[in-house]
Amino acid sequence: MGKLLVYLHVAVKQRAFQGLLGAGLPGVDTTAVGRVADFERALQDAPDAVLTLPVVLAAQGLTPTLRGLTRGSAEERYGLVGAGSAPEPGKVASVGALDLLGRDGTNRFVRRLVGQQARVERVTKIEDLLPLLQMQRVDAVLLPARLVADLRAASRLALSMRELDLTVGLPAVASTGPGAAGVLGAISKMPKDVSKLLGVEEWR
Amino acid sequence: MALTRRSFIMGLPALAGGAISCSAGPGERSGAGRDAVLFSTHSTKPGSKSILVCMPETRQTSEVWRGLSDELAQEFELIALRTEGDDVMATIARGMDRYRPAGLVLMNNPTVEGYRRLQAQAASAAFPPAVIVMSSFLEGKPAHLRAATGISYEVPLITVVTNLRKLIATPIDRIGVVHRAALTGFVQRQAALAHREQTAVVREEVSQAPNASEIKRALRRLKQRCDAIWVLNDDRLLTPRLLADGWLHGLNEPPWVPIIVGAASLVSPSQSFGTFAVLPDHTALGAQAASLMLDIADNDWILPNAGATQLPLSTTTTVDLTQAKERFALRPSALAQVDKVLER
Repeated sequence: MGKLLVYLHVAVKQRAFQGLLGAGLPGVDTTAVGRVADFERALQDAPDAVLTLPVVLAAQGLTPTLRGLTRGSAEERYGLVGAGSAPEPGKVASVGALDLLGRDGTNRFVRRLVGQQARVERVTKIEDLLPLLQMQRVDAVLLPARLVADLRAASRLALSMRELDLTVGLPAVASTGPGAAGVLGAISKMPKDVSKLLGVEEWR
Repeated sequence: MALTRRSFIMGLPALAGGAISCSAGPGERSGAGRDAVLFSTHSTKPGSKSILVCMPETRQTSEVWRGLSDELAQEFELIALRTEGDDVMATIARGMDRYRPAGLVLMNNPTVEGYRRLQAQAASAAFPPAVIVMSSFLEGKPAHLRAATGISYEVPLITVVTNLRKLIATPIDRIGVVHRAALTGFVQRQAALAHREQTAVVREEVSQAPNASEIKRALRRLKQRCDAIWVLNDDRLLTPRLLADGWLHGLNEPPWVPIIVGAASLVSPSQSFGTFAVLPDHTALGAQAASLMLDIADNDWILPNAGATQLPLSTTTTVDLTQAKERFALRPSALAQVDKVLER
């Protein structure tokens, strides 16, 4: 049985996500984590494969061997969401974002997308982006455009989105151990509803 | 076998720590007088400054430490001192003398009180900036301390309602709350924030030391007018006697409305009380405190935003699924949005 480490932020709780992965990847010993520090610790446990965003793989010196695609593309659009009018990238003073890469790495990632002027407020879960807007801690939050519908469904604030020009890589898999081939095979056959949760239609 | 009402009430240890007094339990008092270093981390950065973390030793404080140290350990030397029992003030004083910290993190009410007494004894001394966490009803700028800010421990009503709406299919527009006059300001501020999410708050004020009949009466009135009841973590209202003779009677009769609580121990499928608990995510709370400390460091160790406290951003949720399924219509995706599901 191969070991898979998953570090992705999805629109369901970690408990539910772990259950879906377990059912969707039979024969694979799957560990899902949601915090970058937990991810870095879990990497020390020698997984056979790692499923996360390419930007996270790159930060660890890993290269994707299997990529998630949607509509034939391995990249997706991100959106900037604010309460009221749609935020202007390049003008937002403060942006809430998922903590993908720790403080410095996440600051760089966010500023590449929205501009160097932005002060970045990091959170560890997708659901924690909404409180940043509700409590008026930031001007806008940054997230994959496909997740904006979930944000809107959870709130009665008048949320507006601006899609960004730059794109971000969809989840991908890196081989890190001798059991990787089996894990990659299982991911390629992952049920469509689980893949969809990751923003992926097919694996190549 | 179902829990009896008495065994349910006797099994509420978390409430004692989570309610307004935050008093130390018997287990915590066993460490009185010691000032052992609980944890420490060493930065690889030359000349890094020290942060002193003053905390009792509990599962929750350890989670906060985890979030803190994950964020700060590369940049700073972190020292966690056990602050429990009667010796809290002296322990903090010894720690400050020994480690000369650039900043402090203070966890729970007795620790904050010990630090307040230390500041009062040294009225003219300069103190480093401090970040307070896990202290009840912390709001605005902590007026009783110099150079202190922090993060409230109470989950804001706006967050509570957002979470409840993900679970319950029927509209949640009006939230009822029973409170003492002492907490009127807190409830009004929560109501103002919740208004942004089109949530109205209906208040029932009870006396400073209410009896069970007052609680039952207030609950019956609220249940006629509200879509859910929000139970504050006020230990004056959640005494074993009031729980047994007031709350449990008032809540366990129709009309049914979801009951939102702020203590996991108040959600039990064996004894219907809370439908849904929304609690701070302690690891995320530690990370939020670390971000605040990093902002202070970036600001040359001066409190930013005039020291205004923050609200906690991240929560964990627990549902009594037995009660929720029996009494309410759940959204199809409800269980994917809850951290812990309890079922008889």
